[in-house]
Amino acid sequence: MTIEMLLGAGVLAAMLRLATPILFAALGGVITERSGVTNIALEGCMLMGAFFAIFAADRTHSLGLAVAAGVLAGVFLAALHALASVTFRADQIVTGMALNILALGLTSYLNFEVYGLTGTPADLPTIPVLPIPGLSGLPLVGDVLGRQSALVWLAIVVTVLLQLYLFRTIPGLRLRAVGEHPRAADTVGINVYATRYLAVLASGGLAALGGVYLSMAVAGSFTDNMTGGRGFIGLAAMIFGRWTPIGALVASLIFGYGDALSVTLQGTSIGDVRIPVQLLSTIPYVLTIFAVAGFVGRSRMPAADGQPYESEGH
Amino acid sequence: MRQPTAQWAQGPLIPVISVLVALLLGALFVLLSGNDPIAAYVALVRGAFGSPYDVTETLVTAIPLTLAGLSVAVAFRTGLFNIGAQGQLLVGALAAGAVGARFGDLPAILLLPMTVAAGVLAGAGYGAIAGWLKATRGVNEVITTIMLNYTVVFVMHWLLQNGPMTARNAFGTPASARIGDGAILPIIIPNELVPLSRLHAGLLLAIVAVVVFWFLLWRTSLGYELRAVGLGPRAAAQAGIDPARRMVLVMAIAGGFAGLAGMIQVSGVFHRVFDGFSAGFGFDAIAVALLGKNSPIGITLAAILFGAFQRGGTIMQSDANISSHLVEIVEAIVLFVIAAETIVRALAKRRGTPAEAL
Repeated sequence: MTIEMLLGAGVLAAMLRLATPILFAALGGVITERSGVTNIALEGCMLMGAFFAIFAADRTHSLGLAVAAGVLAGVFLAALHALASVTFRADQIVTGMALNILALGLTSYLNFEVYGLTGTPADLPTIPVLPIPGLSGLPLVGDVLGRQSALVWLAIVVTVLLQLYLFRTIPGLRLRAVGEHPRAADTVGINVYATRYLAVLASGGLAALGGVYLSMAVAGSFTDNMTGGRGFIGLAAMIFGRWTPIGALVASLIFGYGDALSVTLQGTSIGDVRIPVQLLSTIPYVLTIFAVAGFVGRSRMPAADGQPYESEGH
Repeated sequence: MRQPTAQWAQGPLIPVISVLVALLLGALFVLLSGNDPIAAYVALVRGAFGSPYDVTETLVTAIPLTLAGLSVAVAFRTGLFNIGAQGQLLVGALAAGAVGARFGDLPAILLLPMTVAAGVLAGAGYGAIAGWLKATRGVNEVITTIMLNYTVVFVMHWLLQNGPMTARNAFGTPASARIGDGAILPIIIPNELVPLSRLHAGLLLAIVAVVVFWFLLWRTSLGYELRAVGLGPRAAAQAGIDPARRMVLVMAIAGGFAGLAGMIQVSGVFHRVFDGFSAGFGFDAIAVALLGKNSPIGITLAAILFGAFQRGGTIMQSDANISSHLVEIVEAIVLFVIAAETIVRALAKRRGTPAEAL
């Protein structure tokens, strides 16, 4: 084990790559939970984004249409969640689970029907690397930041914008009011239902971008269940980041770093003991449990998170 | 706490409607994807019930589904949402696999009870973590059980790939060593009756578990208290029941049922633990519990239905060349319709039928 393995440019670049899909899901989680709706279907939204982006890329060979199709597929799944949980006040955990299973079934079914056992085609357009002028040439920094996908930068830009929106604008304040005390928000004339619908739809689109990143920027193909629980790690990053975009970014980077280490440390040992790299992957979950339990600072969820709202006018 | 509902919306009607709606939408989906829905469902039913062997295969799948369903249901009855049945099942399987292999030389009369105990206790301990965090720190059990589900997956990767449970002779899929003969649940269908059947004595354990579930909830004072907490924690606290203490206990019981499911898969079906061991039974269990309305009979029937879906789906893919993932789509719609039961309730209210408390 060397310092290069722990802090080299390769590990840090991998950290950013691995953090990006988690971050997109976490940002989706932040916006929906801040409005008072739990969405554990982020995993499903990611999977929808991953498949339908590849599918559209195959049919149209247009990168723009592929990204749009992926995002729309995630928004569609989220719309079902909004319909059930906001309009019909269904149990949000149950509908979320149902939609995760639906997304897994639907994408795997279509993958089998359309691409059979051969897999998705190899000649699809992929999301390009976006070198930042001036950065790529620098030593070390250039190696870490110089060859990152355009979607990595988008994720960071969205993080900043969402942070400003939620905590520095009036509409963001209203959205948080709906998540903390919907009745009071309703009384002062904020449309609770509309706010929650938009937040849930946005969460689906954001999570789907994480899926689009996985299939269109990293893999260049779709395989069944390729998100592999990253939507749930996103949920963990949201909680660990205390329901804020910047916090989610930091949490995603920590989790991404753990992932990157588990790759570079594979097969290495300290003395005679092989490093159990798989245990590094438990870090996001264990840290999150500690965080919600208040052992490492206290994470508090929005007060009305997960509770359906019924307007008194009904 | 529950809303008043029309009489016709009670009993088994909503579960039956949700399954029918799901099958219809599934058929529509098959049609839209250019396949023949009738051929699909014929192949599915034939695969699940077409021969005595198929029936026993359906039951082999229904066994862990029943137990995991009981796990989710006992928590639901106390007002807790156990999404962690999957993780508890895996912990139970690992413990059973470890004990079954480590003490593999012992005779069945000793080893089998030890293996059962290992699976149940490990699952119970894992479940109790979520209950304890809820009772002492007020942590939402949905969050903890989701996190615990994923934690055990990676611990399992380590144990089976290059950890203490890794078998030296495991080629291909990382796996643990084979358990001793004394830890194996015997096949209960004679080979002359149904050749090659895998139906094992875990069926009897599952039946015992269903009876225990019923007895515990409806024939003991503890069960009465648990249901009271589930129906209204505040009223229960007024009556002198401490909801916090019950939470740890009920999550341990829930974990015990799920751990037994994992143990049965090891002792009855695979005789070792391997990576990718469970087909997500712990997640299907949520649908099983809800479809079965958290009742012993309902859960058993729902588990058999889902067992039939899964077994039939495999055959449907090989015979009719329609992806077995159709089954997941149908399952998801069942769950979605049940969750959106308020739609049905709203319709019932509008029809003006006499309302009655549930």
